[in-house]
Amino acid sequence: MIELTGVKKAFGKQEVLKDVSIKVNDGEVVVILGPSGSGKTTFLRCINFLERAEQGKMVFGDKILDLKHVKKRDILYVRRHSAFVFQNYGLFAHKTALQNVMEGLTQVQKMNKAEARKIAEDALSWVGLLDKKDFYPAQLSGGQQQRVGIARAVALKPDVILFDEPTSALDPELVGETLEVIKKVAKMGITMVVVTHEMSFAEDVADRVIFMDGGVVVEEGKPGEIFYKPKEERTRQFLSRIIPQDAYVI
Amino acid sequence: MSFNVQSFIEALRSAFKYAPVTLELTVITFLVSLVLGTVIATVRHYRIPVISQILGVFVTVYMGLPMMVALILYNLLFMTFYNDFATALNISTPISEINPIYIGFFALILGQSCSLSEAVRGAFRGIEKIQYEAGYSIGLSKIKTLYRIIFPQMVPILLPGMQNSLIGLLKASNLVSAIAVTEIMTGALLPSLLYYSYLESYVAAALVYWIIGIGIEVLAHFAEKRSGQYLRRINSD
Repeated sequence: MIELTGVKKAFGKQEVLKDVSIKVNDGEVVVILGPSGSGKTTFLRCINFLERAEQGKMVFGDKILDLKHVKKRDILYVRRHSAFVFQNYGLFAHKTALQNVMEGLTQVQKMNKAEARKIAEDALSWVGLLDKKDFYPAQLSGGQQQRVGIARAVALKPDVILFDEPTSALDPELVGETLEVIKKVAKMGITMVVVTHEMSFAEDVADRVIFMDGGVVVEEGKPGEIFYKPKEERTRQFLSRIIPQDAYVI
Repeated sequence: MSFNVQSFIEALRSAFKYAPVTLELTVITFLVSLVLGTVIATVRHYRIPVISQILGVFVTVYMGLPMMVALILYNLLFMTFYNDFATALNISTPISEINPIYIGFFALILGQSCSLSEAVRGAFRGIEKIQYEAGYSIGLSKIKTLYRIIFPQMVPILLPGMQNSLIGLLKASNLVSAIAVTEIMTGALLPSLLYYSYLESYVAAALVYWIIGIGIEVLAHFAEKRSGQYLRRINSD
């Protein structure tokens, strides 16, 4: 279980997160929605300390951490029990697809090479890219790179995978294949926190949807509730702009 | 005065005999400076308090010091203070038995470390932030991210500049002749002390420098081709 409470963060004078709290249960898929600038990506990055919150507490498994005064050891602990899928893939440019997946297994989990290779190959074949295992990121399409990124995350067997707008940088025709793979991850029962703009995907896989705006959680609930019976005016406004059929109705 | 082939060959032979001194000065200085320069650049890149500011000022100031001035300055300091230093530390080696090449190394390494540190700092800027974040996100420590992910990606960025500095260093290494170290150029000039065959000697010295210089370029070209493999988009299939 992951629970964050009272997370605050500012970039200079710009307050990006004003007291955000969320709880993610084991095996749950939580989708965070919100307009750009709502702080959702920053919040996600605060979970594994790619961004440092100025205030807030996090319960991560059986650890209770103060987000501001966290020890190096605890940061490593969280990072070693979580994985992150980046908007811009974040593959190691000098390593092949296979080496990208193996890196964490051999260097962090201290597996021997043969064992790591086996797991990495399985992970790549699971995302349908075994034939591309010796390709460098620059030789792969965006969708393929992102699938390698997902394979790298899954192979580590983390307690939670954090997805930061995983399809936002992709060509429209490559979004589908990537979402299919993320759905497969969701079906495995791994805990996931996903920041995305893909509404139909959110509706399909999310156990819970959180709508953020202006650095606060505006509303949260089951996808059906949020999408079709939003309680807050701000949520309704946002959805009406994003979901196309509503736009035609108005 | 005509070109005397016999003197030329003799000068060439003498120059080659001292080529190892030049190579030693060039290669050892380069390797040590690369390590020191990388350390300086890394400290400055991560803005480690106090040390990074001190190094920043030092590099800026030191880069303005011509190599020749540095060499002669260190040599004078050494000659002035060695005896006091030796008595204080109970060193019995007389000053005449200490090879001046060490002073050459000292001056070359300091200067070269400063300029290489700037090159490495430039290479740091060529690496995207997401490469660090990806390393951290899979659980690598800061140091491991640095040497597993960042440094290898800096190599292809650094290589063209490295080739440049290595050749610059090869040429700068002959300045140490100013403090009585015999290397390629002074070696080539030895026969002319007897025969006044200066033209032959300088041509011989130039020829040996060229050969080494071309060798460096060939090696660098080969290294560049190999290390940048992953940057190429087109694959064999």
